Amino acid sequence: MTTPATPATTATATAAAPVPPAAVHPRPVGRGRVATAYRWEVTKLAAQARTRATLAVCLLAPFVFVVLLDRQDRLPKDTLYGRWVHASGFATPLLILGFAAQWVFPLLTSLVAGDIFASEDQHGTWKTILTRSHSRSQIFWAKTLAAATFTTAVLTVLALSCLTAGVLLVGHQPLESLSGTLLPPGRAAGLVLAAWATALPPLLGFTALGIMLSVLTRSSPAGIVGPIILGLLMQLYAFLNGADTIRHLLLVTPFDAWHGLLAAHPYYGPLRDGTFVSVGYLVLCLAVAYTALRRRDITGG
Amino acid sequence: MTVAVPAVEASGLVKRFGARTAVDRVDLRVDVGEVYGILGPNGAGKTTFLRMLFGLIRPDAGTLRVFGRTWGEAGPRMLDGVAGFIESPRFYPYLSGRRNLNLLAGLDGGGAGSRIDAVLDVVDLAGRADDKVGGYSFGMRQRLGVAASLLRDPRLLVLDEPANGLDPAGIRDMRALVRRLAAGGLTVLLSSHNMDEVEEICDNVTIMRTGRVVYHGSIDQLRAQAPDPSHRLLTSDDAQALRLGGDHPAVSVSAHPDGGLVLRAQPADADAYILALGQAGVAVRALHLEVAPLESLFFMLTETDPAAGHDVPAQAQPDALTGAAS
Repeated sequence: MTTPATPATTATATAAAPVPPAAVHPRPVGRGRVATAYRWEVTKLAAQARTRATLAVCLLAPFVFVVLLDRQDRLPKDTLYGRWVHASGFATPLLILGFAAQWVFPLLTSLVAGDIFASEDQHGTWKTILTRSHSRSQIFWAKTLAAATFTTAVLTVLALSCLTAGVLLVGHQPLESLSGTLLPPGRAAGLVLAAWATALPPLLGFTALGIMLSVLTRSSPAGIVGPIILGLLMQLYAFLNGADTIRHLLLVTPFDAWHGLLAAHPYYGPLRDGTFVSVGYLVLCLAVAYTALRRRDITGG
Repeated sequence: MTVAVPAVEASGLVKRFGARTAVDRVDLRVDVGEVYGILGPNGAGKTTFLRMLFGLIRPDAGTLRVFGRTWGEAGPRMLDGVAGFIESPRFYPYLSGRRNLNLLAGLDGGGAGSRIDAVLDVVDLAGRADDKVGGYSFGMRQRLGVAASLLRDPRLLVLDEPANGLDPAGIRDMRALVRRLAAGGLTVLLSSHNMDEVEEICDNVTIMRTGRVVYHGSIDQLRAQAPDPSHRLLTSDDAQALRLGGDHPAVSVSAHPDGGLVLRAQPADADAYILALGQAGVAVRALHLEVAPLESLFFMLTETDPAAGHDVPAQAQPDALTGAAS
């Protein structure tokens, strides 16, 4: 039996009509489609209760933390700036910064980054998205930018909230630098914000790590918990005084880079090295995730 | 001067998954304004073909043009003017139907957002639009899938087994919806494993089996070549009824494996035979249609080995059906 597949058969059944030269509504092209997909992803994130709850916690938790600290007689003296939390409101955000680096930052970023790709697998919505004139590359970069936006938003809200809580509830007394000199309030506020800003590169590194796990595992729990566990393992390695070379390559090490800013004679080496390490994680994780998503067989989802 | 560009044009399309060839040298053309069916049993390659059409997978050989553009030439812009769903449409269950459409309209750009209320009306979901999709029935999600497709103001609507999993009322509503959309001038490409559905909705059809095209042409041509309808006949005297069948050359009467008889004939010939039974004192206790003509032809085309042409009745040979050059 032969295969009778010739266009002529259908042409006789229905006369072909002229095709309009263009769609009625012009649609964006190239980077415009990444921007469209980015807005779509951000709108979707904003509609999720988890996203809003996370930002609300970042906004309110520092105030609760400061109130609880204020009621305690014993100070967390074993933590950097712990002994000064009653002396200056600028010490509070630095204390929280040191604490958050241990596991809070990886948790906050991976809540979105670890879920942002896997949730499409969970809901089976990949085909819904990819049948709407958007390529995998465009969706990948849109989602990555959205996750990075959330990370930046979380860090910004948390930093401003910590600073506000410290200043409002403790006061704006001068802050003692790590070298023992007193920093006036204006300078202290600037350094506190700069210290928080140094957490952005490693946080983006953790975001990329969450994205990679989200793409590879297609599982939201794995994407969310994975970066936290890896972060804790890195903390453990650093705590055990492992080899310096490896310790410098850990993604948690750059979280301490702000110490150099609070010295009487600031040093920026750790900040520079930490940024390189963070960028390394960022590029490597995104490259793996991008390649995996491009090669993925979108069938079930 | 405008040029008539087909909505879909596949030429020598091949897709392999390892050693298995899911789509094997498929040629297909869907003209603008047509309602076209791709019919075949599960595993025939229909969904694989649609996945290639939507750019989810790339063909290993051959070309696939949508409104004259290939994925290689246009990338995702090939899908401008195209909408639809593959398998069942999926949405974010924690959002309402309207919110889902809002999101998708944002992804589509253009004027999609302004059409949300209109498309909800078209699919008769306006009353439940603010309920979360997680609480929708399967049929409602199918209709929301059509609404999400219409948001794109498509020129080509692609539906993969749209009535699959629906109850009889849902099937009726979905077919009516597709007919309404087609009547409005939309080009529709519909895949199905249900002959009735394709016969009811489509102008032209391609029938696939194990990745290959075994027939394509108009539904009218297919109908003209279909074998006689097959009925199950129960009588008071089957032996006498069999003998009387021999006196009526236009009918075929044989024993049914589960008891009673199988009667194959055109309606007028069957009527004459039944009257003859009555005149001979043979009571007819039951007569019901077992296999509709087109369904019967569908089984012949899709359940026989394409390499063994002698298994396919002469009237079902695709060349004879379509008059097409192979």
